[in-house]
Amino acid sequence: MATKRLGFIVRSLPYKTEASRLAMTHAIASQTVEIYLEDGDMVEPVVCFIGDGVLNCLKSQQAMKHYGITSLEQHVKNGLLLDLKIMICKEDIEKLGIKEDSLIMDAEDIGGETKAQIVPYSEIQKEMDSVDHLLFC
Amino acid sequence: MALKDQTPTETLDVLGRVCPYPLVLTKKQLEKMASGSILKILCDAPASAEDSIPRFAEKQGYEFESVKLEDKGYWELYIKKS
Repeated sequence: MATKRLGFIVRSLPYKTEASRLAMTHAIASQTVEIYLEDGDMVEPVVCFIGDGVLNCLKSQQAMKHYGITSLEQHVKNGLLLDLKIMICKEDIEKLGIKEDSLIMDAEDIGGETKAQIVPYSEIQKEMDSVDHLLFC
Repeated sequence: MALKDQTPTETLDVLGRVCPYPLVLTKKQLEKMASGSILKILCDAPASAEDSIPRFAEKQGYEFESVKLEDKGYWELYIKKS
């Protein structure tokens, strides 16, 4: 019996690349793999947005209008709906001049109870040190 | 008595959602429910209705029943939490 912790570190911009989208879908999908594992084995994902990756967490994205694809905004909300641990780097949003009220911090509108966390990079570093597998996107 | 003939404790509507959301939302809902209660799930994603949710119920040792409503195009799934 063991819990494998996966850390998805998102550094890519939201559009014109599939990287951050893949991070979110893999993090969400990883919660279902328990059904294929031995009894008691679990997988626990955490998604950390750092650098330009924090732009994935902006509200009012226009992905459908400009690119014809669903926005990362909905992916982030779906992650929160499924109780995914989502961390956003405090220093990077400050560097980019992004205020907290511009970010997707909850998914209450779709029934989510978990909130995103804005944390100093040192917290994300601790998370990166503690996970079993790190995936950079 | 078959699960489908009993009054469900809760109903979870995941119509329009695709894998893996139906399974994860089912797991999340069952975590909140007491042992012995019955969850009815409305699901139109074949992979979830025919594979992942039944497999999860089996692995957990929960009683499970599936009713495919051909005319409506979705499944009614019943899980009794033990």
